[in-house]
Amino acid sequence: METPFTSGAFRPDAAFANAAERFFELLKSFGMPSAGVAGAGGDWSSLAGPLAGQFEQWLKTSQSAGPWFAAADAASPGFARGFAAAPSFGPLPLGAGAAPQQDAQRTWDLVARLAQLQGQLSAHWSEIASRAARRFITRLGTAAGGAPTLDNAMKLYELWVNCAEESYAATVRKDDFSHLQAELANTSAALLVEQRRHAETLVRAFGLPTRNEVDALYAQLKDLRRQLAELTDAPRAKAARAKRPAARPAGDKRRARRRKPRA
Amino acid sequence: MRPFATDAEALFPELTLRIANTLARLREAQGVTVGCSAKRAVWRCGKTTLYQYLPLAEAPPRVRARPVLICFALVNRPYVLDLQPDRSLVRRLLGAGLSVYLIDWGDPDDADRCVDLEDYIERHLGGCVRNILDSHAGAALDLLGVCQGGVLSLCYTALHPKQVANLVTLTTPVDFHTPDNLLSRWVRGLDTELLMRSGNVPGEVLNALFLSLMPFRLTQHKYVRLLAGNCDQRAVEDFVRMERWIFDSPPQAAVALAQFVRWFYQENRLARGTLRIGGRRVDLGEIRQPVLNLYALGDHIVPPDASAAMQRYLGSADYTGCGIDTGHIGMYVSRKAAHEIPARIISWLGQRQ
Repeated sequence: METPFTSGAFRPDAAFANAAERFFELLKSFGMPSAGVAGAGGDWSSLAGPLAGQFEQWLKTSQSAGPWFAAADAASPGFARGFAAAPSFGPLPLGAGAAPQQDAQRTWDLVARLAQLQGQLSAHWSEIASRAARRFITRLGTAAGGAPTLDNAMKLYELWVNCAEESYAATVRKDDFSHLQAELANTSAALLVEQRRHAETLVRAFGLPTRNEVDALYAQLKDLRRQLAELTDAPRAKAARAKRPAARPAGDKRRARRRKPRA
Repeated sequence: MRPFATDAEALFPELTLRIANTLARLREAQGVTVGCSAKRAVWRCGKTTLYQYLPLAEAPPRVRARPVLICFALVNRPYVLDLQPDRSLVRRLLGAGLSVYLIDWGDPDDADRCVDLEDYIERHLGGCVRNILDSHAGAALDLLGVCQGGVLSLCYTALHPKQVANLVTLTTPVDFHTPDNLLSRWVRGLDTELLMRSGNVPGEVLNALFLSLMPFRLTQHKYVRLLAGNCDQRAVEDFVRMERWIFDSPPQAAVALAQFVRWFYQENRLARGTLRIGGRRVDLGEIRQPVLNLYALGDHIVPPDASAAMQRYLGSADYTGCGIDTGHIGMYVSRKAAHEIPARIISWLGQRQ
C-alpha cells in the first residue's frame, strides 16, 4: 500500500488530508453518547471499543507501509508477476519465474514467513490499541464534558496522542517486539537477496557481468586506490612534517594532567 | 456523559473551513525553495561533493579565521543547515566572518554498493579536509559534525588529530547502547551480512523506520496541529520546507550502512574502543582538541545520554557539553535552535581561534 510517507514524491497536503480525516473520525467518536452512565464520574467504557478499533486499523494500515514491508514490497511485484501463468510474449521472466523449482519454493517460503510475521505484528497492534483506549478513558476525567470547541477538541486530541504514543512505546520497547522487527527486516532482506539471485541467473545466461563480478572489480579498484594513496601520501606527509612542526592542541588532557601536583 | 457536552457535529463547520484553508495553503506552498546561500562545488570524489559557501557581502571572511567544514549525516540531506534565511546555521557562520564548507554525500547508486565506511571517512571526508587545508595553506581546520556526520567526524579526528583544531558535534551519538535508544534495540538483531547482500537501502525505507519510532506524533499529530491557532502562509511554507527535507532522504550504500549498523549500533565499538577503520584503531582518547558537543534533550533518534557520554571517552581537557531543550529535528529547524545553536558555536569557536 502506498501512503504519503512511502510514495517517491512526498506530498504534505496528502499527509495532512489523511491526518485531518483521522482527526474527524476521532471527534465523531468523542461525540458519541456513552452506553451506560455510572455515577458522577461518567462511564466512557463504550468509547474504548471504537477508539481502539480505529487506532488498530490505522496501525495496521501504517504497518503495511512500514520500513520492512516497504523493502519487501519493492521485491514482491516482480515475484507476483513471476508466479503468474507465463504469457507467450511479455516482460522478461524475472523473479521467481526465472528460478528453478527449488529456488521458487524458497521464495514462496520467505513470502509465507513474511505473512506469518505480519500476523504476529497484528497481535501487538491490538494490544497497543486497546491499552491506548483504556489509558485515554482513565485520564479523560475532568477534561471531558466541555463544549465542542476547537480548543477543547485539540486538548482531547493531545491527550489521545499522548496515550497512543505511551502505549506504543510500552510495547515496542519490549524484547519480543524488537526480535520480531529484526526478523521482519531479515526476512525482507532475504527476499530481496533471492530476487537478485534469480536476476543473476538470467544475467549470466545473457553473458552479462553479474553483481558479484562487478563487486569484485570494485574491490580490486579499491586496492589499487589504496596503493596509489600510499605512494602519493607518504612523500606529501614527509614534506608537510618538514615544513611545520606539530603543536600540541590547547585542550590536551595529558598536558593538563602533568600540571596536577602529585599527592 | 461523553468527552464533549453536546454533539461534536457543532464543531464540524468551523473545522471543515480550517481544513480547507490549510489544505489550500499547503498546496500553494509546495513550490517553496530550500537552501538559501550561494555556494560553489570545489572538489568531488565519487558521488560526494565539497561545497564552499560564498561570503556574504556584509560579512567578508575574517583574515585569520580557520575554515569550518560541516560534515552532515549520510542518511539525510545537508541543506537543512541552510534551509531558509532566518533558519540557516550556514548563513550565521558566514555572518560571523567564517569560511564555510559543506560535504554533500550525494545519491549512492548501484555502482557505490561496496563503498564502505573507510571510503567515506578516509577518502571522501579526508579528501575534503585535505582539499580545504591545501587551498587555505593551513595546518588544521574546524570540523562541525552533525548526527551520523558527527560520528564520522569523531572517527576522522581521532585518526588525524593534527588536521582538526576544534571539533563541534551536533546530535552525535557515541554510546549506542544506552537503555533509552529504541532504534538501537530494533536493529540489534539485524543480519548485517544479509543487509549487505540485499543491496543499497532506499531512503524511503530509512524514513519509514524513523517515523515508526513515534508514528502517531510524526505522521498524524504534527499535521493536525496546523489546524490550531493562526497558521499563516509563512508558517505553512516553513512547515513544508521542513517536510521536504524530512522526506528527501538519499539511498544508503549497502556496505557502509551494514557496517554502521553492526559496528556502532550492534557492537558499540566507538564507545568500547574496538572500532578499526582502514586497519587503524579509532581511539577517542586521541581527541585532545577542544570539543563542543550540542545535543537535544528531547531527541528520539539520538537520546541525550547517547551523546552526553562522549565526555567520558575523549582525551580533551576542553570539553563543553550542552543539552538544548528541543527534539532531533528541532535542533536543525526550530526557531529556538536557529538562534541558540549558531550563537553558541560562533562564540565557542571565537574563544578558540
